[in-house]
Amino acid sequence: MGPFLEILIGGLLTGVLYSLVALGFVLIFKASGVFNFAQGAMVLFAALAMARLQEWMAPSLGWVSFPVALLATAAIMTALAFAIERLVLRQLINQEGIILFMATIGITYFLDGFGQTIWGSDIYRIDLFLSKDPIFLFESVFEGGILVDPYELMAALIAGILVAVLAVFFQTTRVGRALRAVADDHQAAQSVGIPLNYIWLIVWTVAGLVALVAGMMWGAKLGVQFSLTLVALKALPVLILGGFTSVPGAIVGGLIIGAGEKLAEVYFGSTIGGGIENWFAYVLALVFLLFRPQGLFGERIIERV
Amino acid sequence: MDAKRIGDVLLKVEDISLAFGGVRALSEISFELRQHEMLAIIGPNGAGKSSMLNCINGFYHPQQGRITYKGVTRQAMRPHEAAAQGIARTFQNIALFRGMSTLDNIMTGRNLKMRTGLLAQALYWGPAIKEEIREREAVERIIDFLEIQAIRKTPVGRLPYGLQKRVELGRALAAEPDLLLLDEPMAGMNLEEKEDMCRFILDVKEEFGTTIVLIEHDMGVVMDISDRVVVLDYGRKIADGSPEEVKRNQAVIDAYLGVSH
Repeated sequence: MGPFLEILIGGLLTGVLYSLVALGFVLIFKASGVFNFAQGAMVLFAALAMARLQEWMAPSLGWVSFPVALLATAAIMTALAFAIERLVLRQLINQEGIILFMATIGITYFLDGFGQTIWGSDIYRIDLFLSKDPIFLFESVFEGGILVDPYELMAALIAGILVAVLAVFFQTTRVGRALRAVADDHQAAQSVGIPLNYIWLIVWTVAGLVALVAGMMWGAKLGVQFSLTLVALKALPVLILGGFTSVPGAIVGGLIIGAGEKLAEVYFGSTIGGGIENWFAYVLALVFLLFRPQGLFGERIIERV
Repeated sequence: MDAKRIGDVLLKVEDISLAFGGVRALSEISFELRQHEMLAIIGPNGAGKSSMLNCINGFYHPQQGRITYKGVTRQAMRPHEAAAQGIARTFQNIALFRGMSTLDNIMTGRNLKMRTGLLAQALYWGPAIKEEIREREAVERIIDFLEIQAIRKTPVGRLPYGLQKRVELGRALAAEPDLLLLDEPMAGMNLEEKEDMCRFILDVKEEFGTTIVLIEHDMGVVMDISDRVVVLDYGRKIADGSPEEVKRNQAVIDAYLGVSH
């Protein structure tokens, strides 16, 4: 029981990080119907900015460099959202979804290249000033207890807070209601006086800040490097599982994939062969596409004929 | 009741023409709308009625002509700007926010009345909460007015068609509009639902003095409740007058009976 729980908890905690990336996709997809391919690039860009700013400030500021770099990067991500809205989205208003999708692919490659041009392309580190020592839980219950990575625990905590804040914001405030309104019906939203541009600006900003949190946690775990954009690809099966329009779906989907791939690796890895972890999520997504294409929490689309 | 009598010109449409590619949707349409007036726009399918409403609230921008609203001749205006100037509307195919409750749908109508900043809302801070409570009261009054208390918390996607239409009217009323555009508010309703809707529309006019433009196919309803009728056919205005005058107009009779053009 002990080892199983340890793998499960480790998997769930990694899953939280997938959820964070998926959350960014969901926010933009809900509000504008655009599949934002650039979410992964935004994660890398935020992580790079944060790592380099922290590196620059650390000698003089010590641990204070962490919150200062975080705030500065948040400002950069907000500015980036403004630029994307003004220079790209506003020009493409009322265009087909596929055109907006292509535009986000363009943004992806621009951000990947531009980010490495200004911030550098080595491997950098983000210091969260957490102890690297693993934590042992339930030592009295199981022999040896359950080993947990403090980084992942921290990430889970932050993701939980983020989701709670977003849920309250979406459900109970005027701007939250306006966001949901735009997600449901663009024209009706405009007719009650909600400007689309303003809403897009807000969702891209929030998605940028979510990317920052994801990039920070992934960067602290794996080091800030180009391969972070590949982690973002794992968000795709998460979205297929959870449904493209559901915030809880992104969370649950991430948890299932995180736990599933770890368990599959450990329990079936020896019989099928190693490396299941790399493709398990995609196979699971394919199975879901066959049997429940709208995902666990997605809206079922019933078309009247 | 002096204020509720028909007053000055609120909206003046002059010489509006609108084309999509080679298709002319509207040709040189002109009419006036006075304060507290109920104007019906009628005409066969494809006559350009909805296009006319879409021009007034800024979804479409006519290639030619002028729209003067509240004495200001306006340039191409976007829908949210029209809303800010007191123009609210409903849609021919219900355009509610399907995932949201009746209450939340109507609350979106209060959007323009709410002022607290993004940051105060994000922190869910004092003024933002007070504002929510105040606006909620206004919305409850509309819910009472439309007699939809029982479905307050129901997601509107699950409501029957007639009630959805009523919620949509509620959302438009929540903005306390000066000009209300109703695009076929009674389409697809049974007799009883139609009578309810008529009563609500007349009450809106009596109680709030709202100026209303109404598109409707049911001639009985149109003749009963409107002050004036504009008839469109193939994008042209073929008649404009009181219900009685329009009923006797030969061009209108021809249009409805399908005399060859």
